[in-house]
Amino acid sequence: MTAVVPSPSDVVAEVQEGGSRYDRLIQPARVHGTLYTDPSIFAEELRKIWHRTWVFVGHESEVPQVNDYVRKQLADQDVVMTRDKEGEVHLLINRCAHRGLQVCDDKAGNSSSFRCPYHGWTYRNTGELLGYPYNKGYGGKKQLPLGMGKVARVASYQGFVFGSLAEEGPSLEEHLGAAKGEIDRLVGLSPEGKVSLDAGWLRHKTRSNWKFLAENETDGYHPQFVHGSIFGVTGSPIGELYSDNSTAVTRNLGDGHSENDLRPEFRGFAEPMRWFGTTPDRVPHYVAAMKEAHGDAADRVMIEGAPHVMIFPNLFIAEIQVFNIQPVAVGECVQYSTAVQFDGGHELNMRMVSQSIGSVGPAGMLLADDTEMYERNQRGVAMADPEWLDVRRGLHRESVDENGFTIGTATDETGMRGFWNHYKSLMEAED
Amino acid sequence: MTAIHPAGEIIESEFASVAVKLDHDGNAVRLRVEDLRTGRVRFLDALELESLVWLADGHLTQLLDPSHERWRG
Amino acid sequence: MSVMTQQQGDAALPPRPDNGAELLEVPDGWEAREVEQFLYREARLADENDYDGWEALWTDDAIYWVPVDGEGDHPRTTVSIIFDNRSRISTRMKQVKTGKRYAQAPPSNLRRIIGNVEFIGGRANAEGGVDLEISANVLAFESRPRGNTLWGGRTTYRLRRVDGQIRLAYKKVVLVDNEQAVPTLGFLI
Ligand code: FES
Ligand SMILES: [Fe+2]
Repeated sequence: MTAVVPSPSDVVAEVQEGGSRYDRLIQPARVHGTLYTDPSIFAEELRKIWHRTWVFVGHESEVPQVNDYVRKQLADQDVVMTRDKEGEVHLLINRCAHRGLQVCDDKAGNSSSFRCPYHGWTYRNTGELLGYPYNKGYGGKKQLPLGMGKVARVASYQGFVFGSLAEEGPSLEEHLGAAKGEIDRLVGLSPEGKVSLDAGWLRHKTRSNWKFLAENETDGYHPQFVHGSIFGVTGSPIGELYSDNSTAVTRNLGDGHSENDLRPEFRGFAEPMRWFGTTPDRVPHYVAAMKEAHGDAADRVMIEGAPHVMIFPNLFIAEIQVFNIQPVAVGECVQYSTAVQFDGGHELNMRMVSQSIGSVGPAGMLLADDTEMYERNQRGVAMADPEWLDVRRGLHRESVDENGFTIGTATDETGMRGFWNHYKSLMEAED
Repeated sequence: MTAIHPAGEIIESEFASVAVKLDHDGNAVRLRVEDLRTGRVRFLDALELESLVWLADGHLTQLLDPSHERWRG
Repeated sequence: MSVMTQQQGDAALPPRPDNGAELLEVPDGWEAREVEQFLYREARLADENDYDGWEALWTDDAIYWVPVDGEGDHPRTTVSIIFDNRSRISTRMKQVKTGKRYAQAPPSNLRRIIGNVEFIGGRANAEGGVDLEISANVLAFESRPRGNTLWGGRTTYRLRRVDGQIRLAYKKVVLVDNEQAVPTLGFLI
């Protein structure tokens, strides 16, 4: 699958002398194809991004009860998300301290303790070693200062659980920065101020570098082309949101995060629930509950709708769907996707499940086509010439909004440039 | 079977009264045990129950000593 | 979810489409050979991307379901790879017929084997009749530019006679590897 490509050091050295390796590969208007195909860059990304920064892992609602656990992925790490008896959420690395076996095998369960099947070592669901069989062989009980591996830092925001394998670094809130407001917007659409991600996950194997996905999520240039087939047959107005006539903006939120802000369009219509493709009279209980929760602000919240935000490096909130992107190899990743469920929003929840099934996952009428593009993109960039990908669209017409964020029009590549800026700063950091 | 109690089937004697039922709210089934005299509830998972089965009688007897936990002096 | 939400949600939840209705005896009047011929025809129409021919096999109350995680959870509250009613089957067919459903343009090259056909029983349908429920193994070999994929699974079908013709009312495909990440499933499994 990984095609033979010229090594970046050969190719790019000629293009521009001086600067760091990533200065040469990542330029304001273009990025080099080897960023998507070079296994050594992927290995460096694992160290400097996936094992260091905050990575979205799962949601607290996946372990609703004390002692629930669920297996998750954090890049190449098999992780067990647990809720201990105090209700605290942990991310354990699924590896026995004895000889390294995978401790948990089931996808999910409920247990206060985990017993390794190989020799019976037993751990609390906090990772602490509780005991081992025939303890005389170790000089008695509690003789070993060992435990299951742990993701060094675990934090959650509005129930979204993130892990960082680095002991130190920016806090989760610092990492999320302006993206926090987008998560708040999503959660604000629940009358109880709470979302659940408990509708299961689709797992879509994608033969593409993970960055093609991260860039595409807020690429407002592609929908009319890639999704024209479904917009056409369903008469969907979504395509128009991503056209030259649209008042929507693409915003670089900083820290690698970006969004397609569709609010200007929805404010123009000023119709509550239009973002959801419905009207207040069809979801009366929801609207009443929202008015109770938000008072005068309820109409605005229901007009503006849900965010479309890519949170670096792997959490994509696409209005009513959540994606968790995890890399597997330089040319392969997995997209995990699910439907958002609003606590207190039962009139919307089943419809969100149904719409998500129609749109996302391996057979989704939207995402299967995006994924086809990711895979053709991966094959395309393995070709020798031209070596670069162009990311200059809208560079000349960017502006700064009232909050100091760089914005472009609905179809500009402002989000991608924000992604690359942040990516570059992480990759240039010391090992 | 005796009358249906919302907390499950009742196991009782003149000394204690508990209700047991299988609980499916978590990511796997658990045994929910409620002390009907105090309302205190405990969930037991499969590994904990298996450990109980293997508890030596002596250990179990120790747990019955009123000063072991509940009325620790 | 709050207790309130769950109660209200549950009240509106219809029974599961796979086992929500009681399994009855195999209804009378079905020959193994004609049933198998129907399954082979449905398979060939799908293999050859004869979208109109395939769509015409379905009844109006159709359910086409490809769950994840084994048999899957309730498809109204849990995501599935596919959970189409008749209208969504029609949308799916219209999309692919634009020729710009890139996940299936160009279409996959495909052949599948249907085997181990068993008569399972009957299920009452909304029209007051009883559909024949059968199940069969499927092994499909798909070739696309991204590579070749072997898809295997167990399919449950419900068949009904409508105006003397056999029609498909229900098809649930439990993929063998549906607990893993699977590649794009652009064709009709
Ligand atoms: S490897 Fe886990 S107990 Fe030996
Ligand atoms: Fe897209």
